[in-house]
Amino acid sequence: MKRVLFYLMIAIMLFGFIFPIAWVYVTSFKAPDDIFKPDKLLFEPTLYNYHYITNVRPSFKELFNSLIVSVVSTAIVIFVALPAAYSFARFKTGAGHLLFVTISTRMFPGVVAALPFFFAFRELGLLDTHLGLILLYVYFNMSFATFLLYGFFREIPQELEYAARVDGYSQLDVLRKIVFPLIKPGVAITTAFCLIWSWNEFFFAFLFTGKVARTVSVGLSTFWGSVEIQWGPMAALMGIAILPTLFAAWFMQRYIIRGLTFGAVKG
Amino acid sequence: MANTIATTASSSVSSTKKRTFKQALSSEAYIKWVYLTPLLIFLAAFMLYPTFYCLVMSFTDYVLKGAPEFAGLQNYRDLLHDTAFWQALFRTAYILVVCISMELILGMTFALLLNRNFTGQNIVRGLCFLPLLISPLAMSLMWNYMLHVQFGIINQFLDWMGLGRYEWFSNQRYAIFTIMFISIWQWTPFSIFILLAGLRGMPKDQFEAASVDGAKPFFIFRKLTLPMLKPLIIIIILLRTMWLIRIFDPLYGTTRGGMGTEVLDWMVYRVSFVFFDIGRGSAMAMFSLYMTIIVCAIMYRQLIKAMDSGN
Repeated sequence: MKRVLFYLMIAIMLFGFIFPIAWVYVTSFKAPDDIFKPDKLLFEPTLYNYHYITNVRPSFKELFNSLIVSVVSTAIVIFVALPAAYSFARFKTGAGHLLFVTISTRMFPGVVAALPFFFAFRELGLLDTHLGLILLYVYFNMSFATFLLYGFFREIPQELEYAARVDGYSQLDVLRKIVFPLIKPGVAITTAFCLIWSWNEFFFAFLFTGKVARTVSVGLSTFWGSVEIQWGPMAALMGIAILPTLFAAWFMQRYIIRGLTFGAVKG
Repeated sequence: MANTIATTASSSVSSTKKRTFKQALSSEAYIKWVYLTPLLIFLAAFMLYPTFYCLVMSFTDYVLKGAPEFAGLQNYRDLLHDTAFWQALFRTAYILVVCISMELILGMTFALLLNRNFTGQNIVRGLCFLPLLISPLAMSLMWNYMLHVQFGIINQFLDWMGLGRYEWFSNQRYAIFTIMFISIWQWTPFSIFILLAGLRGMPKDQFEAASVDGAKPFFIFRKLTLPMLKPLIIIIILLRTMWLIRIFDPLYGTTRGGMGTEVLDWMVYRVSFVFFDIGRGSAMAMFSLYMTIIVCAIMYRQLIKAMDSGN
């Protein structure tokens, strides 16, 4: 009896989380009329919405923009945050205060950053460009990446590095052969989070892009016209836009498991 | 033991008087700042500059036409009398408290559920993670559709069950709860994820000892589980506070600040980017910044305390 109750609760929880997402896909296959008839459970699936976002209102440029901005900004963030987090974790640079300052960039309301950057970018001609958005996303993700990597570096015992130094390894070798393999799962998780957040970000993309560098998030919001809201094509584009984040999450999960088992074997 | 190894390692580098350039470079004092240099550049450009700019702007009455004119503390004085601002502030605090409490309660419940071993557990855990991966704005638009009065599927379900249809977004009584619901739906998996990791990492022996001694499950939960999870809970509260104070996406996708849902960041956005009252907007932004830093600093302190006492 208890087992039935348990599985029932699991099922309810799953249903609550999955149903809205599944509904996105269901809606994307509905013809425009059927979208407004929720009582019609048995509808004929149609590819009209997908045809719409391919031919009538080409949306792949937005997907491409999102991809470029996410990947490049994440690469820069990891490149800067990794040594900084190592410095914070190993040497306690700045006695914890500098770390707090770094993390506090995340505490800023979006507008605090948006206003001055808006004016600065306007002067520099960076509005509606890929570079501008990349810089903004570097700002957006840096503090959290540093914080996460700091946590992961703290997990690696310092004794390993000391032992290697005693054995004659140079500092560079210690980093390459001891620290790097152990930090790989942490880097994988951080990279995945940064990618997903850049991909899904809306506020900065909304304010700083126009037709050229528009990302998927903003593109989705444009389906909300002044006359009508085009639910069908919006659901179709959303369904496609979810897939890269699913891929990033799946990749992260696989990498963690691999990285953890390798670390355990090598000891 | 570790300390002697460390001093041996570092003294072998610094004990010789004539150090090579390379050895000097790799001494600890330099290295830790070298590693930090890119981040410091970033901090200067992306943090000091905007904050300073905003601060200066908050003392002007710039409205995008003409040059900014110094206006002293006028903006801040206006802010103190601006009832709409304080309403938005209290609304934001209200959302903060309700959303985070619900996310923690639900997250804890589901994490406890998922902690058991059952068939298909990996798939279920992976599926629960899904709401986090969706763009908040995109999902808000979808909720807009699903909760629509006439053709939303949720109202359809309620109708079939005989509970009638509700105007989830266009009714001032419900709108703010709907926004909270959207946020809770999306972010509960975050709590689940962190709490589940915490639950899995807990040492089993104390729990076995407690149940052998005849302690009831709820008692074990209160006295053993919760205190051990305290650092993680504080982390969740800290992070969610930082994110909820600037809640924006769900509002843009649904009510656009109407129907009594104007919150802090939305108001600043409206004042700055729709009405272009930069001076006033900057003052509001600065105010919310100070508030956020104070609240988060307090929580950060608690976190450090909890982590140190735990370890």
